Amino acid sequence: MNERITIKVTDLIGTPLCISAEDGQKVFEKTKQLILSGRKITISFENATMLISLFLNVAIGQLYESLSEEAIRTHLKVEGLSPDDMELLKRVVDNAKKYYSNKESYDDAWLKEEDDDDE
Amino acid sequence: MKLNMGTIRSDMSGFNSIAEVFRNTKYLLFDSVDLDFSDCSFFEANMAAPLYSVIARLRNELNDVNLLNTPRKIREILKRNRFLTLFGDNAIPDTNQTTLPFKIFKLNADEQFSEYLDYYMKGKGIPRMSDVLTKRFRQSLLEIFINATFHSKSKSGIFVCGQFYPTKHRLDFTISDAGIGIRENVRNFTGRKINSVNALKWAVMEGHTTKTGNLPGGLGLKLLKDFIKLNRGKLQIISRFGYYEFTASNELYQKMDNDFPGTCVNIEINTEDTSSYRLSSEIDHNDIF
Repeated sequence: MNERITIKVTDLIGTPLCISAEDGQKVFEKTKQLILSGRKITISFENATMLISLFLNVAIGQLYESLSEEAIRTHLKVEGLSPDDMELLKRVVDNAKKYYSNKESYDDAWLKEEDDDDE
Repeated sequence: MKLNMGTIRSDMSGFNSIAEVFRNTKYLLFDSVDLDFSDCSFFEANMAAPLYSVIARLRNELNDVNLLNTPRKIREILKRNRFLTLFGDNAIPDTNQTTLPFKIFKLNADEQFSEYLDYYMKGKGIPRMSDVLTKRFRQSLLEIFINATFHSKSKSGIFVCGQFYPTKHRLDFTISDAGIGIRENVRNFTGRKINSVNALKWAVMEGHTTKTGNLPGGLGLKLLKDFIKLNRGKLQIISRFGYYEFTASNELYQKMDNDFPGTCVNIEINTEDTSSYRLSSEIDHNDIF
């Protein structure tokens, strides 16, 4: 039960292209479910040939909505990312933390602005 | 109806002229539209994508669209990038290998778009960019494409094409749709009757997204701007009346005179860029979350 489980992303989504939101959602659901059941997991990007922030946002950024930073840090690892993709993931994670810690102001800030609609 | 096309370059005036065609034809049904290119002294090949946003709307209402009096040079450009095949004309070989041909993708064709980039950007001499620049560029185009499939609700698909300008060391790639525009998405999301320019400002702001559900977002455009800044390239986003242009030295929002029927993103990269894009420090695997 305590053994770390590896999610091989390209196997799960059936493509080396980590680009679509739909595929990211698949990874998200699997990851969230396993973390909630107390498992430690590694998300492996081995054999992925392309990765974009939108995919990472859906697959991993979204976890911060329902899981604590501590739970994610304890249970989740990633492997198989190149250094620049690692930087991409870091930015996605920082953006997600910022978003969920201050969601109201992110969503509402704009609503206070006046708009002059002339179209 | 016959309409004159002027010179079309990848600038606000070019996009505005294309949007003007839409203004003059938006209520036509089962009609015929002749676009007359007699006065067109230059047509930048990548602008075929936004032009098709207008033509797709017309064809969707079962209007016939014809291109008339296209000067020889422009005709060659548009045959080489295969745009004229949509009007029953033949393509000519891209002997200089400077073209990423015009293509229409369905909204679920993200893998096909990736294959298209693989095919046309690899080993075809357009252009011989460093691996890391090629990767950043491809990532950027995929982000834009996937966002278009997500947000545009375009009934006719996504229109793409690119052109390498060897003497200028510039590669332009344009992704356009005939969808509802950023304004409509932001209006639906915020519940406010926001105008096109403010909707563009909203979308460009880091952290904003109109994706449904509870996703954090808005990072794609921020990353794109960072890349364009480093590369000293240019980013343009045109959506409805809104025009946005970003370079390393300037950022500009403007209202256009005419309503562009959808959203178009043009990225122009400097192909002579020798930036290493090396990270300031490697990120520790244990320090991600």
